[in-house]
This record gives sequence, structure tokens and C-alpha cells, in this order.
Amino acid sequence: MTDQTTVSGARDIFIVSNSVDEMGGVTTWTHQMAREFTGRGHTVHVIGVTPAPADRRHEFPDPLPYATTTLYEEHPPQLKALRGLKGKLNAVERRRYAARSAAMQERADRMTALFRAARPGAVVIVTQVWAMEWVGLADTSGLLVIGMSHESYDASAGSSRLPRVKRHYKDVDRLLVLTPEDANKWIRAGMDNVGHMPNALPFVPERPVARSGKVVASVGRLSHEKGVDMLLDSWAEISSRHPDWKLRIYGAGDEEQALLARTTELGLDGSVEWMGRTNDVLGALSEASVFAQASRAEGFPITLLEAMAAGVPCAAFDCAPGVREIIRDGEDGLLARLGNVMELGGHISALISDKELRDRMGEAAFKNVKRYAPEEITDRWEALFAFLER
Amino acid sequence: MSEKKEKWIEVQVPDVSVVVIAYNDAERLPTAVQSVLDQTLHSVEVVIVDDCSKDSTFEVARALAAKTPDRVRAFQLPENSGGCGAPRNLGIKEAAGTYVMFLDSDDVLERNACRNMLEAAESTGSDLVSGLCVRVTVDSRKKKTAGWYPWIYAETRTIDSITELPDLLVFDTLSTNKCYRRGFLLDQGLEFPVGIHYEDLLFSAQAYIAASRITLIPNHVYYWNVQERAASKSISNRRHEIANFVHRMTIHRRVDALLESKGYEDLRYRKDIKFLKHDLALHLRDLALLDQDYQREFARLANEYLAGISPEAYSEVQPLQAICAFLLTREDWENLLPATDALTNPGRITSPLVERDGRIYWCDRHLDGEEGRAILDVTAAGHHTKPLTSLSLGNKLTSYESAGGSIKLSGRVVNPLGRIAPDAKLGAALEFSARRNVSGKTARIPLTTVRHAGDHIEWSGVVDVARAVRPLGVIDAVWDVHLVLTVGEDELRTRVSAGGTPLDEAGSVRIRPRLTTLVSDRFVPQITPKGNLSYVLTAESKVAVRTSAMIDGAMHGQPARLAKSGLHRLVTAKRNLSSGETKIRVYHELYSKLPIKKGLVVFESHLGKQYSDSPKAIYEEMRRQGVKFEAVWSYAGAKPTGFPKDATLVRRWSRQYLRALAQAEFWIDNQGFPLALAKRPGTTYIQTWHGTALKRMGFDEPGTKARGLGAQASFQKALDRFDHFLIRGEHDRRTLAKGFRLRDEVLLPVGYPRNDELAATRAKEAESGVRERGPLAAELGIDPEKKVLLYAPTFRAGPGGKVQAFQAPFSVEEFAERFGDTHTLLIRTHYLNNVTLPPSVRGRVVDVSSHHDVTPLLALADGLITDYSSVMFDYGLLERPMIFFTYDYDEYAQENRGTYFDLKERAPGPVVETEEDLFGAVARFDEEADAKYVAARQRFNTEFSEYDRGDAARRIVAKFFTGSGK
Repeated sequence: MTDQTTVSGARDIFIVSNSVDEMGGVTTWTHQMAREFTGRGHTVHVIGVTPAPADRRHEFPDPLPYATTTLYEEHPPQLKALRGLKGKLNAVERRRYAARSAAMQERADRMTALFRAARPGAVVIVTQVWAMEWVGLADTSGLLVIGMSHESYDASAGSSRLPRVKRHYKDVDRLLVLTPEDANKWIRAGMDNVGHMPNALPFVPERPVARSGKVVASVGRLSHEKGVDMLLDSWAEISSRHPDWKLRIYGAGDEEQALLARTTELGLDGSVEWMGRTNDVLGALSEASVFAQASRAEGFPITLLEAMAAGVPCAAFDCAPGVREIIRDGEDGLLARLGNVMELGGHISALISDKELRDRMGEAAFKNVKRYAPEEITDRWEALFAFLER
Repeated sequence: MSEKKEKWIEVQVPDVSVVVIAYNDAERLPTAVQSVLDQTLHSVEVVIVDDCSKDSTFEVARALAAKTPDRVRAFQLPENSGGCGAPRNLGIKEAAGTYVMFLDSDDVLERNACRNMLEAAESTGSDLVSGLCVRVTVDSRKKKTAGWYPWIYAETRTIDSITELPDLLVFDTLSTNKCYRRGFLLDQGLEFPVGIHYEDLLFSAQAYIAASRITLIPNHVYYWNVQERAASKSISNRRHEIANFVHRMTIHRRVDALLESKGYEDLRYRKDIKFLKHDLALHLRDLALLDQDYQREFARLANEYLAGISPEAYSEVQPLQAICAFLLTREDWENLLPATDALTNPGRITSPLVERDGRIYWCDRHLDGEEGRAILDVTAAGHHTKPLTSLSLGNKLTSYESAGGSIKLSGRVVNPLGRIAPDAKLGAALEFSARRNVSGKTARIPLTTVRHAGDHIEWSGVVDVARAVRPLGVIDAVWDVHLVLTVGEDELRTRVSAGGTPLDEAGSVRIRPRLTTLVSDRFVPQITPKGNLSYVLTAESKVAVRTSAMIDGAMHGQPARLAKSGLHRLVTAKRNLSSGETKIRVYHELYSKLPIKKGLVVFESHLGKQYSDSPKAIYEEMRRQGVKFEAVWSYAGAKPTGFPKDATLVRRWSRQYLRALAQAEFWIDNQGFPLALAKRPGTTYIQTWHGTALKRMGFDEPGTKARGLGAQASFQKALDRFDHFLIRGEHDRRTLAKGFRLRDEVLLPVGYPRNDELAATRAKEAESGVRERGPLAAELGIDPEKKVLLYAPTFRAGPGGKVQAFQAPFSVEEFAERFGDTHTLLIRTHYLNNVTLPPSVRGRVVDVSSHHDVTPLLALADGLITDYSSVMFDYGLLERPMIFFTYDYDEYAQENRGTYFDLKERAPGPVVETEEDLFGAVARFDEEADAKYVAARQRFNTEFSEYDRGDAARRIVAKFFTGSGK
């Protein structure tokens, strides 16, 4: 049982992920929250199971103000499942299994040593279910363990992660998912230790952008999942009505060539601008008046948070609970039914034609999205730690 | 309050107190208490209240308190209260926590229950939090679990008044799956009633009504352990249930009074509906099995209560529920008891029914009043129109005796509306089948006597069970009995309802299991929970009793587990063998390795549901021209009716079907052969398609656009199987071809073969100036003097794409009344729908939905009424008038899928939205629907069907089969 001595005091917080520095949303989240917790006086230790592959390594500009540890020197070997009699007789493969298990236990023991040295009231936050396989082998008695799933329930349900989450997170003190709606789905799937916690805004500009440029902006990887093809279809439905407006698409990815061809096919070459990947999202947003997103799947999309934080009204497909959680349809943005490009086009068109609507929704977005401001979210985390100790 | 306790509270107020009540349950109490101590929320205390048990319950409780003194306290009532109310009330008084929950000593809490309840309560400020209760059948093999009204608990939800969610009060009447703010209970003075059963019903209703805010959470919170076997008590044990029923009615009245005092009329109404649907139905279920005194007393009590419920509630419950309640109020036992059999076995017709004034009624009494007619009207069930073999007829056992290995029995089957004709040749046999059937074998024993007897069919016979039925003896313990009634060519299977026929006194039947009589040697008649006759294999001889006990023991050991898992694997293997996946593999890995057969053509129309449309037209043209080919037609469903006799018929997805497809030279269909089946390069696929598109199709549909890369690729792969795709106008090229991403060279602009007949009809009519009616008019019995209108709507999909049941959007009776003397209305529903017409419109409104081919119906009709169906484009070729009855236009146009054009702008006929306007247009047909639209119809044809010139089938046959057109 946890001691209740540090309800309002400083804690030792371990954040365990697949890796410390792999490019992507989870790493961004990890280091944002690590800074926030450090800022509140907690002692943070970020642990990665394996080093990021060289081509996906995130470079940190400054030294990090908290400790980091990576358990493996290189990625642990991936083994195929041993099933049935054939598996039982495969001695070579079974030896590899045994070696891998021993190596896993060794890494888990290293974590156990870190956990043992922590003060009472320490917390382990596991951001990904794969990393939980190691935390599960470590001794976490006396610590709070909080598991996380950074994607929508449906995304997990469509992959091997649903059974893995159910197995490895079964006994954690809380499994946090992104939205109340996702939490309901996990509970219905049989998990009774589920709570929800949104992601925090990456930046909080002091005032909204001017919304004067005749530009509809979209930011995202050029992949099938992000639905840029449907964004083009939507734009094709309406672009002739707004000849002086441009659709600016920021991002790069493997669908780029196909999308360029599609743009030509739809006769949109004159009104679509391909901007490539950007590191200055706020700069891109300051030139736009409308933000559009046509993703097929999302978790808790950071791009919508950014656009709204900048006061740019959004039109998006209602593809996940995270999207309808962020956008209050009709109040601070407009949602279209997934795949209905006529409807999404209609929403973009409405925001283009109606300046009053655009300004009203932009201002509402700027204000409403502050509920995800980093200090708000950090307060919620600290309240959760205290609650789980009761 | 003692000084000591006051101090205790001051020191540490627990977040939650769980009141655990117990009576004579020393054995299970520790488990219940432990489930509280094991909660993930630590700040929880246990208050045990013993209802003055006769066993050691209180000693156990005190021992538990002594073991964990800071978290467990034990109390005892001075004398036994006989219920749950008094102990819980004491628990509320003694509880110290901010919140209170109740737990019974035989149940347990889910580990996170208190934490989840507390979080919900604190984050919402609710007085009451309720979570999902799970019933666990502890004596079932796999500890079967079932959520208690899970739909109420689908998601987290907070309400500020119970009126926002009447279902909660109406259905979830438990007090135990809830967490109450203790201050709320004390302020409101909420207590359980004492000295009466069903105390939960009243307490929970009071709490729901008093709470200023309620939060529901979808989490499992409470495991309610129930025993299935204990529930099926013998009849003589049930007399005391009358006393319970008195309690139940009293509690219901008190809840009703509470709702009335608050003015909650809607809640009261919902509760009345639930009473008819559930509470009453539960008691009616086995009424027929109980003695007369019980029946009469039950009726008296129930009718007192029924007198107070809203008469409108009857229209909101299922027909049989209303009928049973109504017959009970009339104390019409003769009709009520068979009706309860139909209530328990949905769909069963246990009354001969009666036709009166063009409607069908359950029985011939009580039809003088409007209420009786409304409730007893069962026209919509279609018992008068459905095929005889699809009816489930009531069959009641009238006598039963057994001697040695034989039984002598008789019974009677209902003959509703005289559907079994008096001159029909009858036969009957009893069929015995094992419920867990491994071999698939059944025993069928002919009966000697079967004859017409008024509105019933009587049967009787002596059955040598010992000789005919040979169970294995171990696995197949339960055997069901069916009566198979032969009527002419048809076979009707019915269950034998035991009704009130006493089987208890009847002895067992000696049988000889195949394995060995050492295990079991007797068949004991048994009534299933639904009142039907069945047999259970048991042991009676001393040897068998002994071995059976040994086997019972052995059934749980290691060898038994092996044997059982072996059996399980056998059953699974059998299922897998016929699964879709296996079939697809066999198709690709086996059949597709066989050589392609020259001249083998596989035809299919609408996924095998019909012999119709362009595939039929091409097929008939090939026959007409004497093309040499081997024809295979696919059909769906059990039995092909209406398919051509000169073709090989194969059932869709059967092995023969798959093999034919794999070896065919040509595939011809109008919708799509199974998407998962790859087409071989040597096979030519002619996709005729089945209609011009109004709704967006293929990749133009939002649903397809939204799919992932893999799903889109496999869909495209299925579409790429088409070698040729027929189009009937350039509109198709812009819509269908684009939506399916078809290459230009695939498109075949020859028009639709199905429409050749329409083009010919039109040409003949234009030439002769006479509209001739073919043999179909006579077949349908249409008066030559009457105008024929065809109503052919499309189907509607509900949310999630599920096909909605068809309901005529106008009154067919009204139509018959107003136009029946001058018009015949043909109704043809979409092939995914069906319709039931009342007998009153006979001869004036005719259901033609079962006709495979719509084309002759179109040729027959003088006018068409449709909505958005693609039949409009075909009918246009006849240049006859059309009315567009688009009563749900906005809904249809707003629907997610979207349309290619606005029907209202292009429709070549009046577009009406109400029944009144529809009838108005029919009344002024010639001037309103016809004359005004002559030019519009021609424009319509030019736009959508420029290639339909009447020679499509000939051109297809010439191009692909006779070579003359290549």
C-alpha cells in the first residue's frame, strides 16, 4: 500500500516509453510533461526501453533538465510466436526465447533498482503498452503505476494492441486514455481501471492571429491515414466558388507523388500550394484564416489544438472521439461526417464566405482551447496522483 | 452515539462505507467482506449487519471485525426481520463514510468499484452513482455472466432528474449496484421498507426521485451471484409465490403513488409498459402449468392492478404481451392459456385465428368493442399470407402414457384460418433429436393417426422409443421432440407443447444407449423452460446408477477433460469445414487449379435472390438463339423457386457454386460475385449492373472514401475483375464508371438487356395504338376495365446501413377505399423488403414482391408510383406517367451518402410528399401526371437511357457467344 505522506509534496516521477528520443507524438508528449512536472518541483526520470532508430531520432537542442535512461544498447530481437507442437520442438527458437526473457528480466531489474531508491509517493507513468511489458516484470510495490494509451480505442481495436492493452495494463492503478468517450469504450471492453486525460497545448499564444490571409491551411503527414486525398476532393467541390483563395498544405510523406497527380487530375494546380514540412507551425497559421483537417483516423490531434490556440477556426472530419472532444461543433469549429467530402467542402466554404462566422469561431476556439493549457493539465495530473493514494 | 465512535469518525472519515448484510450465511460472508477490503480505494470501511442468524454468521462477522478492527465493524439485529430492509437501515445508521454502498453476503464487489464510484461522485457532485451489475450464474459450467440492463450503462452519463432517463427507474430497480452520499440519505430520510419483499423497488425509486443529480458509469461494480438450478423449482413448491405476488403488487402501488404525487406521468406510463412487457409476462409464462386455484387467485390480484394502468400502454408492447394481458382482464381462460404458449415461444400460432371485416384477429371473442379489436388484431404478422411452411403452428399434447419402452400419446395442431385445406393429404411423424448432436442423426417415427378436426389437426400414435431412439449415452443427455406434419408436398415442423398435460405421473421409458446401458438406461419426460416436451437420459437400474456416479466423478478428471476437449475440437472442426474462410481457400487452392471449361456460363441476379434482370434477359436470348453452352444459375436461400428448369442450379457459396465459378468461361451478374473470389484470367466477367445511379456509388461514397488503404485496395481489386460493364447512357459513364474507377475500355454502351422487352412493348404500342395486357394480368386476376398502378419504392437504410423494415407510407386501405373500384394497385417492395397486406384490400391492392422479375410488371402497369428507385429510368422507356412519392425527401437527400443529381429538378412527373397529395395526383392522373409531362419524359430518356434501344441482349450474344458481332 502507498504511504500517504506526500499528498502535496514533491514526487519522484518515472515516465517509461518505448524510447526516450524517437520522433513522434509520444516523445513530444513525454518531454513536454517532463518539463511541466520538473517545473512543479517533482523529480522526473525519463526511461526508454530501446534507442530510437538512427533515422527517426529526435535531436534535443538543449541539455534536458531531468535524467534519462535507455535500457537496451540496441533493439531487442523480435521473435516469432511459438505455437503448437512444432513450436515446442523448435529448440533453437526456444533457446532464443529463453535468452530474450532473461535479458528482459535483467532490464526490468534495473528499473526495480531505480524504483526502490525513490521516495514514498513515487509514480510510474507508462506511455506505451510495449514498454509496460518491462515495467510489468519490475517490482513496483509502493509506487503508483499509471498506464497510457495515446490513440483512440478504435485504432487499438483495429490492431494487436487491444488484447495487449487488456493483458498488460490489467492491474495498473489507472489506465489513462485520451477522452471520456474512449474511456467508455475501454470500460465496455472489460477494463475497470480506466480514466481519461487529454494532451496539453504545445504553445499558448497571447493573442489570436489576424485571420486576414485568403488561405486555408492544413498541416500533417502526407499519408493515407491523414486523408489529404479527401481534402483535395473537398477542395474540388468548392474551389471554383472562391477563386482568390488558396489551399496550403504543409507536410511531407510517401503519398506526395500520388497527391500531386490527383491535384492535377482535379484541375486544382492553380489553387493548391504544397509547402513541405515546417517547424514553424505558428508562423504558418498566422498567414491562414481557416484550418482544414481530413484525417481518416486520429487520437487527440495536436494540429487542431495548435490551430485553435492560434485562433484559426477549423473544419474537420469527425473521425475520432479526440476530434469531437477538441472541437465543439458549431461553436468553435465545424465537423463533417467522415468521408463526406461534400460536407467538409461545405464547411470550409462557409468559413471562407462568412467573415463574421470565421471570426466568431476563431475567437471561441482561442478561448475554449485554453482548457488544455499546460498548467491546467498538470493540475489534473497532480490531483490524480493524490486521488489514487486515497 | 457513543463517545468512542465519535472520536473514531473525527480521526478518520472513510470515503465509503459498505454495508454488508447477512442471514445464515457464515460460509460466504468472509468472501464478500474480503472483496471490500481488497478494493483499490483504501479509504473504505465495512459495516456488517447480521439479521439475527441461526448459524454462526455473527461469530464469523465478529471474527472479521477483530481481525481488521480499523476497517470492519459487526452488528446484529435483536431479532430476525426476514428481509433486507431492516439490516440495511441499521447499516445506514452505523455507517461513518461520506458515501454508502450495499452488499449482500453472497455477492462481491468489483475491485475498482469504490474508486470508480467515488471519482464519479466527487467529479459531478451527484447524490447517487450507479454502475453496471453483473449476474453470475455460479452453477453454470463456465460461470455464465450477463450485464443487468447494460444498455442503460453504455456510457458515463449525469442526469439532473430521473425524468431525463425513465428507463433507469423502470428497469434498474436494484439498490446494490449504487453508491449513495450518506448525507443525502439522512437529509431525505430515505429508508428501506420493512416487513415486505421487493424492498429494493421502492427504495431505489425513492432514491432516484429524491436525488438532485445522478451519475451512471459503465463499469462493472457488483457481481450478483445466482443459482440457475435453484430457480427451477417444482410446481408444488410454487404455491407461496402467490404471497410474493401480493407483495410485488403492493410495492408497485406504492411506487405508482410516489410517481403520481410528483406528477411524473411519463415515468408512470413507462413503468406501465414495462409491467406489461416484463413483470406480467414473467408470471404468465408458466400459468398453464399451475393449478386452477392458483390461476384464479393470480388473475384476481393482477387484474386489480391492471385496472389502474394506462390503456395506451397496450399499444406499445408486443402483440402477444397485450393480448395475454387483455385476455387475463377478461378472464377468458380458454383463449388465454394457448396465448401464453405463444408468448413464451414467439412466432408460434396457438389459436386458430379468425378473419373479420378484412382483418385478422387472434380469437373470435371480444371483437365487439374497439379496445378488443385493436389489441387482438394480428393482421400485421402476415399469418394469412406467409407460406404455410414458414408458419410455426401450436401443437398441444392432449394425452400421454408410457409402458416399458413405448409411449402412447396424442395431441392437436392448430390449423389457423383453415390454411391447411380440408382435402390436403396429411401425414405425421415424431422426430427425436439430441440437443448436443454430434452425429447429426435424428430418429423419425411415423404416427398412425392424423386427421382434420374442425380448426385443428388431431394426431395420435404409439411410439416404440426403445427401438427407434438410440442415444450414445454420455454426451447426448437431452433429447427434443418435434412433430413433423406432412401436408401434401410440404413439411411442417412443430414442437410439442406439454401444456397442462401431467407428465410428472408418467413413468420413464426404458432405452438402450449405443455405448452401454451401464451408464444410463431410462428416458424421463421433461418439460423445457418454454413448456415443450423433451427427454432426459438418466440411470435407474442399480448398475447404471453406480456407473453413472462413477462417470460423474470421472467427468471432472484429466481424461474427461481430454475427452471433452476432443469433442469440442471435433465440433469446431466440423464448423470450420463449412466456414467462409475454408471455402475461399478451397476455391483458390483447389478449384482454381482445374481447367476452365469452354462454354460454361455462371449467371447470378441480385446475389442469387432472383431469376431476373439483365442476366435473365441474356440467358433467355442465348436459349432463343440456340447457343451451345452449359448454364449454371446461382440461387440464395434454402430452395430455388422460379428458376429455369433447363439450367444447373447451384446454391450461392456451396461447393458446386465455387467450383462452377472457378471453371467458368463466363461470369454474368448484375451486382457482384463474392468479392473475396479472384477471377481467373481465362474467365470473362460481364457485369450488367442493375440500375442507373442516383445515390453516389463506389469510391464516391463517403463510406468507401473513409476506408483504410488495404480495404480500398481490395475493393478496387474486386472491381477490376469486371471485363465488361454495361452502361445505358453517358450519365453512367460520369457516375458509375467514375465511382468504380473503371477503365474506359471496360464500358460497353449497349443498354440493359432487361429493358429490351420494354423497348419492344413501347414500339408495338406506338405502332398499333393499343396497349395489350399479357398473361400476367390474368394470373394476377386484374379486371381489364381497371387502371393498373405499380408502387415500387426503394429500401431505406437506418443508421449504420442496416436495412429498415418496409412500412407503406400511405394507407393501403384508404387507397382501396377511394380507388379500388377503378384501379388495381400492385405493390412491389425492394428485394430486401417485404410487405403484409390486410385481407380487406384483396383484389384491389396486390402484393407482387415475390415476382422475381419486375420487367413484366412494368410492362403491365399504366402508371408507376416510385420514390428514388432506379426503376424510374427503366419505366421511362415506356413513356408512361410516373408519380414520385418522396415523403422523406429531405432525410433521403441529407443522408450521408449523397446523390449525383437533384431528383426534384429532373423528375418527369409530379413530385408529391404527403398521402393527400399522392391521392390527389392519382385522382387527376391523366391531366396531372400524364399530359403535362410528355416532353419531360422524352428529355429524361435522352439524358439517362440513350443506349437502351431494344437490342442489348442480341448484341451481347453476338459479341460473346455467336461471334457474329465481333
